[in-house]
Amino acid sequence: MAENDFEAPREREMAGGDEPYNDKMPRRFQRRRPRQVIPDYVDWRDVDYLRQFIPERGKIMPRRISMISAKDQRRIATAIKRARSMALLPFVWE
Amino acid sequence: MRLYSQKEEIKLANRTYEVMYIIDPETEVDKITTLNETIGQLIEKEGGTIVRMDDIGRRNLAYPIKKKKEGYYVLFEVDGSGQEILELERRMRVNDAIMRYITVRVDEDRKKAEKIQAKREKRTSQRAKFRQTEGTAETAAEASV
Repeated sequence: MAENDFEAPREREMAGGDEPYNDKMPRRFQRRRPRQVIPDYVDWRDVDYLRQFIPERGKIMPRRISMISAKDQRRIATAIKRARSMALLPFVWE
Repeated sequence: MRLYSQKEEIKLANRTYEVMYIIDPETEVDKITTLNETIGQLIEKEGGTIVRMDDIGRRNLAYPIKKKKEGYYVLFEVDGSGQEILELERRMRVNDAIMRYITVRVDEDRKKAEKIQAKREKRTSQRAKFRQTEGTAETAAEASV
């Protein structure tokens, strides 16, 4: 019985409030990867590791697709930029 | 000129830098070795210590620099106060054989990483302890029933 008490209000919400609200909701992105474990120290010379955050075009992968935390994204972005300045990674892929 | 307090002096004394530079691949091998030696001597003269000297060698560049597709990479890891880096960068800027250089301060990030790792280890050990106690409690409860 206790379980039913918890479920009842949720059903009410689903019936009434959810459908009109759905139009205003931002579209959810389909491409989602599981959260990766980023090492504590991101080495800017480790090109093979950084390559997984660079799609075909050579841009840095946005956070909404790679699903890493904001802190990790910042660390990886700086590492990629350092590697780029030393011609270890390209600015653009053709 | 700025006068440093004692605390800041201590901070300045132990820093770690990674210095990487790309030498023009068309320079002769002898010149490259002498250049590396002079840079090593310069660092030691200015009061730094070389932790690691890595001669990476020829590598394809990700994009052409000065119309060249290859470069000779050299990496130094230097412990010091920062004064030797100042002098080193000045020299590298003037040198025509060096196409690119970069210096990165790495000690702060490494310390942070060590801290995080220590924290994680502590947490896992505590969890293991908690689990053990929980398990013993459960077995004790079962025994009493």
